[in-house]
Parts: sequence; structure tokens; C-alpha cells
Amino acid sequence: MNLGQFHSILRQVFLLPVVALLLTAGALYWQILGANATVDLIQESDARISQATLIAKLMADEESGLRGYETTADSRFLQPYNDAESHLPSEFTRLEDLARTDLDQKHYVNNLENEHQTWRDTFALPLIETVKAGGNTDDPDLNLTGKEEMDMIRRDLQNIISNAETHRMRRVAFWHKQVREMLWVLLFLALSMGVLIGLFMRSRLHAVSDAYRNSLEVLSHRAEELYQSEQRLRTTLDSIGDGVITCDASGLIQMMNPVAQQLTGWTQAEALGRPLEQVFPILNEETRAPAENPVAKVQRLNEVVNIARPTVLVRRDHTEIDISDSGAPIRDKTGKTVGIVLVFRDVTMERKTQDALIANEKLAVAGRLAATIAHEIHNPLDSVANLLYLMRNGGVSEEESKQFMDMAEQELARVTHISRAMLGLYRESRAPVPVDLGEMLGEILLLMERRFSDLGVTLATQLPSSVEVAAFPAELRQVFTNLITNAAEAAGRNGTVKVAVEPQLAKTDPSGQKLQAGAIISIVDDGPGIPDDVMPHLFQPFYTTKGEQGTGLGLWVSQGIVNKHGGSIKLVSNTSANTHGTTISVFLAANPTINTGGD
Amino acid sequence: MMPQESHLVLCVDDELVGLQVRKILLERAGYRVVTALNGDLGLELFSSEPVEAVVLDYSMPGMHGGEVAARMRQIKPAVPILLLSAYLGLPAEVTSLVDLYMTKGEGAPILLNKLSSLLHPMPAS
Repeated sequence: MNLGQFHSILRQVFLLPVVALLLTAGALYWQILGANATVDLIQESDARISQATLIAKLMADEESGLRGYETTADSRFLQPYNDAESHLPSEFTRLEDLARTDLDQKHYVNNLENEHQTWRDTFALPLIETVKAGGNTDDPDLNLTGKEEMDMIRRDLQNIISNAETHRMRRVAFWHKQVREMLWVLLFLALSMGVLIGLFMRSRLHAVSDAYRNSLEVLSHRAEELYQSEQRLRTTLDSIGDGVITCDASGLIQMMNPVAQQLTGWTQAEALGRPLEQVFPILNEETRAPAENPVAKVQRLNEVVNIARPTVLVRRDHTEIDISDSGAPIRDKTGKTVGIVLVFRDVTMERKTQDALIANEKLAVAGRLAATIAHEIHNPLDSVANLLYLMRNGGVSEEESKQFMDMAEQELARVTHISRAMLGLYRESRAPVPVDLGEMLGEILLLMERRFSDLGVTLATQLPSSVEVAAFPAELRQVFTNLITNAAEAAGRNGTVKVAVEPQLAKTDPSGQKLQAGAIISIVDDGPGIPDDVMPHLFQPFYTTKGEQGTGLGLWVSQGIVNKHGGSIKLVSNTSANTHGTTISVFLAANPTINTGGD
Repeated sequence: MMPQESHLVLCVDDELVGLQVRKILLERAGYRVVTALNGDLGLELFSSEPVEAVVLDYSMPGMHGGEVAARMRQIKPAVPILLLSAYLGLPAEVTSLVDLYMTKGEGAPILLNKLSSLLHPMPAS
């Protein structure tokens, strides 16, 4: 049930009783109208009775006045007769009016009038005349006639009154009946309206209570689901090996999982509501300066932040651990950041292992180079030793001696050249220095010349001079020695390796990302290409396709070095029959922000 | 010190200067010398010439010394082979193929001694 339906029920519940009571009042009003009409009729009957009584009295006055006059012959006794005589016609008219449509009553009234007329004409007026004339009024017949006529009048009056009383009684009985009926109607209406309103209210309340129960069920179901979901997430958070901290939007800690508690040294209860930087103070490993609070960084960038640089977490007991961490915003439905989740990991052991592996790879590279150099130096030294032997043992002409010395000098020059290249390879510097990429690659290729010819690989170069980047030369030599060796081995006999350097200006790529100015070094071989199933593993440590010959660390270390230089390595390979080969491109920024350390 | 008869020695090395110097050295020591700048040429000469000993460089473009030695063994198993290498350590399967091996730069006398010992195994014992 939605709010609209609920409001409609509220309206119905308000309107129905009002309408029902209005109907009841209407019915009652109609009943009362009927009863009132009956009361009017009763009052009319009363008026008729009193009118008839009034006429009876007037007639009695008339007769007694007449008798008085008859006895005394004094005209003063005739006064009541005359009064009644003057009033009676109008009183008859009133009585007749009161009879209205009652024909019986009209008939009686007409009779009464006629008889009264007869009495007056045949008895009263002759009697008065006789008395006036001084005649005898003792005639019993005349008096008896008068009496009989008056009796008839009295009977008529009696009829009229009893008729009116009968009407009145009937009407009173009818009124009583009406009142009784009204009581019943009232009772019936009250009952039926009560039942109607009751039933209606019941059904509406049922609807509301059903909806309420449904809502309760849905709510309890949701609550259960929410609880289970939260339990699942909590168990997940408790079980994972990474430390997880969640903060609200202002960076106050809300939750820490057990690993986070163990790594920071703060318990959940102690950390709750504290600012993140207090519980999770991090330093830049190199500079020891406080690192940017991940909460602030996530809020600033409003996206997932991976913190790649080496970071040190200062624990509560002031011991330090190396961590790698990442932060992500928690967004509500509208996309507003309502919190931040921070995931971090103790990488102290990992870092040490990596350092050991990197050192190991360095040794392996050094070993391979040493072998190359031994070869490069032993060949000319062998010639020089042989030439010296020849010259010492005599029997050498002046011309020959000169020729031998030239040859020895030439060979020694080669040794010097190679030794210089070798020294360049191991010249460590503490800060990045300008490196001419063409020159450096030339030196590397010189050292590898032998290896190329051994492998039967043709080399093509495109090394323009004065393409410079700021870098650690020894490390870049390691990278390119590694990559060129891989390319040469992949190209194999009769294969070709192309090494090219191309300066790149700062620009914005199609996806809108700004690219720094720098250089791209591409190393292209026409070897068989790298199968798709191998590609994902190329930059993983200990992955090698060279069996015993490889450490499986070359590309991994190379990528580490290039990343440290703020650059990137991209590898594209093709295994199809006609166009097979691999292109590896290394981008190096001209003025990179170098992540020192980690080495 | 000069050998009675002149032995024909095949020198294979891709280092032109080194090869030339070695040729002069061996000729001065009384050998007749043919040279080849790579394994293929060396094998051709090995088949066509009555070579009595081979001084073979290990590290060469195309076919390395070990491969060349293995083929020579198939063609003329009896001809002694002296393997020269600029590297210090050579795989065992290569060194087992040849009669002797030595590192470049050990000096001319050692080379001459070793070659001589290959051509003239101790007659007394």
C-alpha cells in the first residue's frame, strides 16, 4: 500500500460516517414531518371540539335568554339571546371552515345550522312576537316543539363533538403509532448504520493492517538480508590478509579489520572516531617526510588511488613497516563521496625478497657481461701475446716487426675501447645524469657485437645523437643489455634486430592523457613472436623461457628500473607466419621524477 | 725443435687479426697452415685438404667450435683437434669432443707445445 492509497482510506473513513449520519438524519426528519402533520390534525380536532362547545354554549345562552324573556316579558332578559344570535352565524362559518373536507362533519354542521334556523324561525321568533304582543306563551305544543327542536340541535352538536373526538382519538392513536415507528426506524437506522460503519471500518482497517504487516515482513526480511550481507562482508574483511580501514568523508575512522589492527597496533575500539593520520601515520621511505594522507588524496582526485611509492607505516609502538596501500572512495547513490576505504599490506618481507632478487639478477647480468668481456679481451690479448712471442724469438725483419707492432697496437686499442665501455657500464651515480641514449646504446651494442655474430643475427640501428634523458646510466645499460639480448636470442640465425631511438615531444594522446617529453627506444626482432599464453607472464619474476640459461628476472627487473625512471615498457608481439616478430618499446621521460630507493 | 716433416694444420677463427698472427706463428714454428674464417669454410678445407691437425676457435658466428668439431669427427675421426676459447668455462659435451682445449691468451709456447703433443704422441710410451 502506498501513501496515496492510505490517504484515500483516510478520506473514506472520514466521509462514510458523515454520509451515513446525514441519511439517518434525513430519515428522522421525514418521520418527524409526518408526526408533526398528525399533531396538526390533532390540534384541528381540538379546535373543532372547542368551536362546537362554544356554539353549544351560545345556543344554551340563547335558549335560557329566551326562557327568561318568556317568563318575565322583560326585554332585558332577551339580551343573551340577541348576543348569541349576532355571534352564531360567524361561529357556524368557522366550524364549517374547520370541517374542511370532512364531509360527515360538514353534513352535521349544515344540519345544525338548518335545525337552528328552524328552531329560531318556528319557535324563538314566534315566541318573542307573542310575548311582545302580550300573548299567551303557555301553549305546551309550542314549547314541546321548541324543546324537541332544541334537543335535535343538541344531538347534532353532540354528533359533531363526538365525531371530532373520534377523529382526535384516531389521530392520537396514529401519532402514537408514528412515534413507535419512528423509534423502530431510529433503532433500525442506528443499528444498520452502526453495522455498516463498523464493517466498513473493519475492512479498511484490515487493509491498512495487512499493508502494515506486509511492510513489517518486508522490513524484517530486509533487516535479515542486511544482517547476513553485513556478516558476510565482516567475515570477508576479517579473513583477508590485507589491512582494511574505512573512514567517513572527513577522515575519521569507522572500522578496522583484525589485520589493520595488528599492523597499526591500534584496536578497533581505540581507533574508532580518530583521524586517520593519527592511527595510520605514513612516511615517504626515502625522504622520511610525512606522506600525503590517503583520505585527502582520494578526496582530491575523487578516484581509486594506488600508492606505488615506497611508504613506511609508523606503528603505535614506533616500530616501522614497509607497506603498499591503495584508497578508494565510497559513494552513495548520488555519487557523493561518503567515506573512504583504505587497503594496505605489510610488504617488509616482500621488499627484502625483491631486493635480494634484484641483486641476484644484477649478479647474473654482471656474470654474463663478464663472460662477454673476457671473450672480447682475450681475443686481442691472444694476438698481442702471439705477436710479442714472434718478435722476441727473432728472425723478424724490420718491416715485419713494424707490421707486428701495428697489429699489436690495433688489438690493444680494441681492449682499451672495450674496457672503457665496461667501465661506463658500472659507473654508478647517486643522482640521475644526462644520458645520450644513442651513445649508450652504441656502447652496449659494441659489447654485444660478438654475441650478435655468434648468433648469426644482423643488426640494424637508427641511433641519432643527442637524444638525452636524465637517468641512472648503469641501470639503463642493464635494461637495454637485457632487452637487446632477448631480441637477439629471439631473432636467431639469419634474423634481424633493429634498435632505434626516437625523440618524443610532449603531447596529449587521443584518450586525453598528457604525455611527457622524452624518447622512445624500440627494439624490434623478427623472431617467432611470443605466444599469447606466455604474454601475461613475461614481467613476472622467475618466469623464463630459456630454461637453465635464464634467471627469469630480466624483464621483471627491467620493468622495475624503467618504472623507477618514470617510464614504461610496452611489448607487442605477432606470431603469424609472415609477419612474426616482437617489438618492445621503452618510453623514458626527458626529465622524470625519479623514485629513488628500492634499489 | 723444428719438426722433421711439415705438418698441415687447419686454423679456424673468425677473428681476422688473431687468425693471421696465429698463421704466422705456426708457419714460423714449421707448420704448413691453411686458414678459414668460419666453420663452413673450415669444414670444406678439412674435407678437401690432407689436414693433420686442427686449431679451432670456439666462439664463431653461425656454427660454433663445438659443432664444427663434431662434424669433423664424423668426417675424419682420427685428426686431432685443439679447441681454443676466449671463455673460461666450456660445456663438458664440447670439451669431451676434442683432444685438447685451452684458453686464448695463455701464450704462444703453450699453444705450440700442445699442438706438438697432439701430432707427436709420446713415442716412448
